[in-house]
Amino acid sequence: MPKLIETRDLVTNFYTYEGVVKALNKVGLVIERGTTFGLVGESGCGKSVTARSMMRVVQEPGRIEGGQVLFYPGEDGQEAVELLSQSEAYMQSLRGDQISMIFQEPNAALNPIMTIGDQVAESFLFHRKKEMCAKVLEDLKTADLPWPGLKKLLEFFYRRAAADPGDRLCCWASRTPILKRWQQRLFREARRRSVEIIAALDIANADQVVDRYPHNLSGGMKQRILIAMALACEPLLLIADEATSNLDVTIQAQILDLLRKLKKKSISSILLITHDLGVVAETCDRVGVMYAGSVCEVARVGELFRNPLHPYTRALLDAVPKFSVSGQLKSVEGNVPNLVDPPSGCRFHPRCPLRRKICAQRLPELALAGPDHLVACHLAGGRSGSAQVWGGR
Amino acid sequence: MLVFVLLGVSVLIFAILMTFSPERRAMTYVETPQQVKDIPQIIKQHGLDDPAHVQYFRWLKQISTGNWGWSFVAADTVWNAFWRYLPITLELNLFTTPLIIIIGIWLGTQAGIHKDTWLDHLTRIFAIIGWSLPTFLFALIMLMLFYGYFPLFPPGIIGDKVQMFILENPDKFHSYTGMYTIDGLLNGRLDITLDALRHLAMPVFTQVVVVVALLMRVMRSSMIEEISKEYVITARAKGADNKTIYFRHARKNALIPVVTVAGWLVAFSMEGSVSVEIIFNRRGIGWWLAQSAIALDIPVLMGMCLFFGLVYVVTNLVIDILYAAIDPRIRLT
Ligand SMILES: Nc1ncnc2c1ncn2[C@@H]1O[C@H](COP(=O)(O)OP(=O)(O)O)[C@@H](O)[C@H]1O
Ligand code: SF4
Ligand SMILES: [Mg+2]
Repeated sequence: MPKLIETRDLVTNFYTYEGVVKALNKVGLVIERGTTFGLVGESGCGKSVTARSMMRVVQEPGRIEGGQVLFYPGEDGQEAVELLSQSEAYMQSLRGDQISMIFQEPNAALNPIMTIGDQVAESFLFHRKKEMCAKVLEDLKTADLPWPGLKKLLEFFYRRAAADPGDRLCCWASRTPILKRWQQRLFREARRRSVEIIAALDIANADQVVDRYPHNLSGGMKQRILIAMALACEPLLLIADEATSNLDVTIQAQILDLLRKLKKKSISSILLITHDLGVVAETCDRVGVMYAGSVCEVARVGELFRNPLHPYTRALLDAVPKFSVSGQLKSVEGNVPNLVDPPSGCRFHPRCPLRRKICAQRLPELALAGPDHLVACHLAGGRSGSAQVWGGR
Repeated sequence: MLVFVLLGVSVLIFAILMTFSPERRAMTYVETPQQVKDIPQIIKQHGLDDPAHVQYFRWLKQISTGNWGWSFVAADTVWNAFWRYLPITLELNLFTTPLIIIIGIWLGTQAGIHKDTWLDHLTRIFAIIGWSLPTFLFALIMLMLFYGYFPLFPPGIIGDKVQMFILENPDKFHSYTGMYTIDGLLNGRLDITLDALRHLAMPVFTQVVVVVALLMRVMRSSMIEEISKEYVITARAKGADNKTIYFRHARKNALIPVVTVAGWLVAFSMEGSVSVEIIFNRRGIGWWLAQSAIALDIPVLMGMCLFFGLVYVVTNLVIDILYAAIDPRIRLT
């Protein structure tokens, strides 16, 4: 599979009053075209920050300090665009169009005082303005207008906007009272598209839902609206940041089903962030495991569950709620480290049952430990069949 | 609703009134020194030692028929004097209110967007000066600078020449509203409007600087809070530019808590013009109230309490309506 997006040695810090939170410690991930990549790890390990760094939407007081984010927009995955060195304007044209994101908290992720329709329509207005203006221009030819002068004027504006969405004259007119009404047909077109995409996500009465406000909708509905917003421009990569964690189980299953269906229909890849290993097993092709700001292990789903090589992954798999003979639940022992002053070397070493002297001194690099199986551990790095170190599972 | 609140206010005011002894209250009917010995008679005549509720309803009846008593400070009935002084205060607030709201919200928004930049620090200094310097001191400094050293903006309401002209030609200048800036326009006398504006400039400036500080700070913190919310990240992830994020998404949300503060500040500014009116010698409600308080002109104090009660009730009503207009989660019942 050709690559779609890749991070290399990504470092993101948060400058808080308590000190510098070193949230990402050289994160390297590869997401391939048309696949679903799962990212798992305890809460606070930096999954969200990784996703936000990829899109360059890290919130204050965070800053991306180093590394690379390579985006491969071409089919063959050859030519790369380094996103961290691009201008903000380029990123704006990319976000929501090529890469989009849905969030954990559907209640907080929608603007409470804007109608659903207006919020969904924004996606189209940001990225499909040119196309929509051309469409309106086409429709104008057959439209009946009260007087011919108006038609001329509208055609004039739409022709300019269809040629260049950022046209100075059109922008000026959009801010001027009365004149700004030239955009009405554009807004109507954006609204039509919003209704269409909302209806496509199994929401009944889409033409009424667009006039509602977020507080009128249930959590599951809001999450669908967020998905509609993210999918509006058919992105190449959809990042779902714990998109189902705060919904109840049946709604969660529905949303995951929806995501699976959508992925089949369009070729978009999904970066699925979750802490639910069951969801990963069902939905993903490849999985990355994160711990305290670094990636410890990346493998295909079956391989990871069958043959986990990193001690943390093994602990995580053991912690999955399942009843053993005694009916006891295991959890990963120890505490999540403080990222202001993280442990030296391998960040997992204070909790690792297998630590060696070298573990506290050197950061283990992510290295191939089997076919399509990367591990960052001094005991597994580069050695085939290292699973025998701990015996098979 | 409105009526009930006003009734509550009137009971409170009356309760305060009743803490004065009947003799004390009888004094308000005394106009000449000879009458002082007639006080027992006045008490009987006006029923000042009747049971409280009898007096309350009598007082309420008087108030509601426009009989608010006699103000010896104004040497007129309270009702007449009130309508004479009100335009002066209203005129001041006519200019300060929009300025306070526009400047406060605009500067607060900018400071919030450009947090910790020179612009933010500048507005912070401005707010500290406006908020911590006593109004009278600030007003005096203004007067000293712009009248004492540079005689640009004189105190008072209108210049002597204009005053003379109006007194001598009562047929040429009709007072429609009692506000010279507006009457000047209505009479087609732009020079009078301009002269009135010249006298208004300093009081308006002082009042705006003093009141705008708080509004600006509230708007700033509200804006900062909104910018850090999840939905802003959603908008950013959609591809929104900063302008859309700040002005289409964040600002309207940030305004919700600010509406209350703005409403209260405007109401406060109505009565808070006391020091401004005294120092710039504008005889409006604030000036009258201060004089009455010093001279213990009780009918005036009572009437003004009721008036400010009304101002606050109306302000709250406007705030509620604005809330419903901005925030779809709130429905008027
Ligand atoms: N706004 C913020 N301010 C300070 N620290 C933050 C902020 N957001 C995230 N972090 C830090 O980054 C680390 C990773 O957070 P996050 O990516 O949200 O975790 P999760 O894996 O649960 O999504 C956390 O340990 C947290 O301390
Ligand atoms: S590098 Fe060492 S401490 Fe880290 S996971 Fe491997 S064995 Fe454990
Ligand atoms: Mg998270």
